[in-house]
Amino acid sequence: MTNSAPEALLTLSNVNTFYGPAQVHFDLSITVARGHIVCLLGGNASGKSTTMKIILGLVKPRSGEVTFDGASLIGLSTPQIVRRGIASVPEARRLFADMSVRENILMGAFVRNDRDAVAQDLDRMLTLFPKLGQRLSQRAGSLSGGEQQMVAMARALMSRPRMIVMDEPTMGLSPLYVDRVLELIRSINQAGVSVFMVEQNASLALEIAHEAYVLQTGKIVLSGPARALKDDPRIRDAYLGGSEAA
Amino acid sequence: MSSWFDYTINGLIIGNVYALVAVGLALIFGVSRLINFAQGSIYLVGAYIGWVAVVRLHTPLPLTIIVVAAAAALVGLVIERFGLRPLQNSVRIAPLLATIGISFVLDQLVMLTFSPNPRALPSQLPDVRFQLGGGTIGPLDLLIAGVGITSALLLFVFLRYSKLGWAVRAASQDRDAAMQMGVDVNRVNQAVFGIAAALGGVSGMLVGMYYNQIDTAMSLQATLKGVVAEVVGGAGNVPGAVIGSLLLGLVESYGVAVFGTSYRNLFAFLLLVVVLVLRPNGLFISPRQAPPEPLTGTFIAPSRPLRIPRWALAVAGAIFAVLPLFPVSFYVLQTLINAWLLGMLALSLTLVAGTMGQVSLGHAALLAIGAYTSALLSLTLNVPVGLAIIGGGLMSAALGTLLISPSFRLRGHYVSIATLAIGEIVALVILNWESVTRGPIGISGIPPLTLFGYDLISPSSVYWFSLAVMVVLALLQGRLLTSHLGRSFRAIRDDDIAARAYGLSLNRYKSLAFIFGGFAAGVSGGIAAHLYSYINHETFNTQQSILALTVVILGGLGNVVGAIVGSVALVGLPEVFRIAAEYRILIYGIVLLLLVRFRPQGLLGTI
Repeated sequence: MTNSAPEALLTLSNVNTFYGPAQVHFDLSITVARGHIVCLLGGNASGKSTTMKIILGLVKPRSGEVTFDGASLIGLSTPQIVRRGIASVPEARRLFADMSVRENILMGAFVRNDRDAVAQDLDRMLTLFPKLGQRLSQRAGSLSGGEQQMVAMARALMSRPRMIVMDEPTMGLSPLYVDRVLELIRSINQAGVSVFMVEQNASLALEIAHEAYVLQTGKIVLSGPARALKDDPRIRDAYLGGSEAA
Repeated sequence: MSSWFDYTINGLIIGNVYALVAVGLALIFGVSRLINFAQGSIYLVGAYIGWVAVVRLHTPLPLTIIVVAAAAALVGLVIERFGLRPLQNSVRIAPLLATIGISFVLDQLVMLTFSPNPRALPSQLPDVRFQLGGGTIGPLDLLIAGVGITSALLLFVFLRYSKLGWAVRAASQDRDAAMQMGVDVNRVNQAVFGIAAALGGVSGMLVGMYYNQIDTAMSLQATLKGVVAEVVGGAGNVPGAVIGSLLLGLVESYGVAVFGTSYRNLFAFLLLVVVLVLRPNGLFISPRQAPPEPLTGTFIAPSRPLRIPRWALAVAGAIFAVLPLFPVSFYVLQTLINAWLLGMLALSLTLVAGTMGQVSLGHAALLAIGAYTSALLSLTLNVPVGLAIIGGGLMSAALGTLLISPSFRLRGHYVSIATLAIGEIVALVILNWESVTRGPIGISGIPPLTLFGYDLISPSSVYWFSLAVMVVLALLQGRLLTSHLGRSFRAIRDDDIAARAYGLSLNRYKSLAFIFGGFAAGVSGGIAAHLYSYINHETFNTQQSILALTVVILGGLGNVVGAIVGSVALVGLPEVFRIAAEYRILIYGIVLLLLVRFRPQGLLGTI
């Protein structure tokens, strides 16, 4: 897709998805290069979240190919895909509300069996997210939205993923936390983890992304380096096209 | 058994037994959002495996417990793998119905293998009693308490410290998120069903030893008690299930102490209904827990119903109408009369469960109310039988709706539990209200059917009468479905929140559905009473409720013609093939399972 891009880590090619008779994706093709942050923009009902579900194997496409690190993900179950090295920060965090913060973070390491290294990683998370240190034994459901987002990100990192997919990581957060989350995504990426994020907030996402795609009612209408898209007048129109004036 | 101390000990012991069942139900509900109606069957299987081990193989007690736990766990794994896993992507009513079908199949297999006669299950423990405080306590009491406490501890350690236990907890809080952490939900389901079955099986064995008797009726009772305890503790809440069970045990025990043994179950179900109405999330659940059953139209399989042309229906009706004019045997007419009576019940249930989306498991209670009302009106007040039957229908409509109305705010599985409980309560009130219902003796000498002074005694006149009543009810219901009212019913079924947002009053429409359905079922019960001339509290039992549900699903939920076709098929085919009575329930169970798996929309399609 991009000319001087490094090797592709995740590719979706010509994906067509249906919910019953309704088609959600039309020949969707997306590439996430190794080490990059790629964001998928789009309004409501554009098929963004479904794209994430396709990658995670929660929804099966009717046709098309999804590959990760050269191998096909089609037909794999979600746990198998997670074991390949893809972690997720789901929409609205989806923490295990009645488990403690510590248990939530450790659940992220469910696929790992190296207990000592997991314990070290937990300590590392607490330096990355210092606030969570005092909250470790608290019920995850009792945290504020921003704190929950931190737990969700720590949880995703615990599997030592090669890629993290995030569904609207800034949704419902205070401006302070939005900046903090974007900052964290950037530093996670600098540590070598590729990021694929779905966002409604185009201007924020384009600040940290390398490449971006704009999805409108199931079709990619615009794509390219984030820097270029940022100044593109079409992005505003395209992006607003899918959503009602709210 | 005399002192309060004894009643307390007894309550706690029975509570312990319930806890072993309820904890399994809670685990399964947590992970699958499913009330496993087959849990009592596993308990039954456990009791009989225990009997084989003790009486035939003479195993020592510790080995007996291990054998029972292992065998029951195996049954649980088989149920999960072959009964429920194929339904994972099915509509949400499917697993619920499947567990009902599995329960029928298991119970009947046990009955066919071991005969329905009760057997003695000796306890293998010395028969001594220790004086303690104001009462006595025996070694079996201690064993049951020990098994209960040990299981609770093991379960706690498993959930808190093992990796699989973490997976179970995570999956029960957010299944999709757990999968995204790499949790294999199928393995979690397996683990949960295995554990639940092991606990249930051991529980059945212990109860068998406690009463030194096992029989196949244990199954439904255990399911019911487990469900009560689980709902009291909050569905899916494991510690809550333990406390709910102990509470249930104590309530029952004290209830028995004050009112007598036949009131035991009445207290259990009253407790359930009170909790369902006042605290549907259970007594202990944290208020932020998701509300029960976020429900949309996927609960019932959507389909395009088969259109049957009017002339075909008219021809079929005409053929059945003239049938008695031909030399058909009494046996055929008798079978078809049963089909018409079941058809009326199925019409009622298909309206309530199919069109309205309230899957009732207690529909036989409506039959019972209609039958008793009609019988008593004609016997004690000398009301003409024709009027008495209408009176039965009206009473069923009024009383049935009144009884279910506190549960109108419940949804999905909870409606099924509430109706099941109300059905049991009706049967228990009939049993205990001796001054009116004559209690366990039943009512005999009910006058035969009459219409405008003419006795309907010949089989063909009874046939015509019941066919005509059913056809009138079916035409009314068909008219209802195409009306504005019918559309409102379906709107509420498919999305009650949206329906409410459009200004539909749920209570009013649910009442109307139950009034109409109650009338049809009550009339069916009334006719049956005069036909049988004898009824008691067991004439209209849970099996009939489930049979009606199978009929309705066979025909297609909400489908009027389907309800009748289903009745003829399920009553008629076993007769045609001369299947012995003891295999019939087994076949109904298998039919239900196959339908749920392969044709959840039924033969003619849901409407």
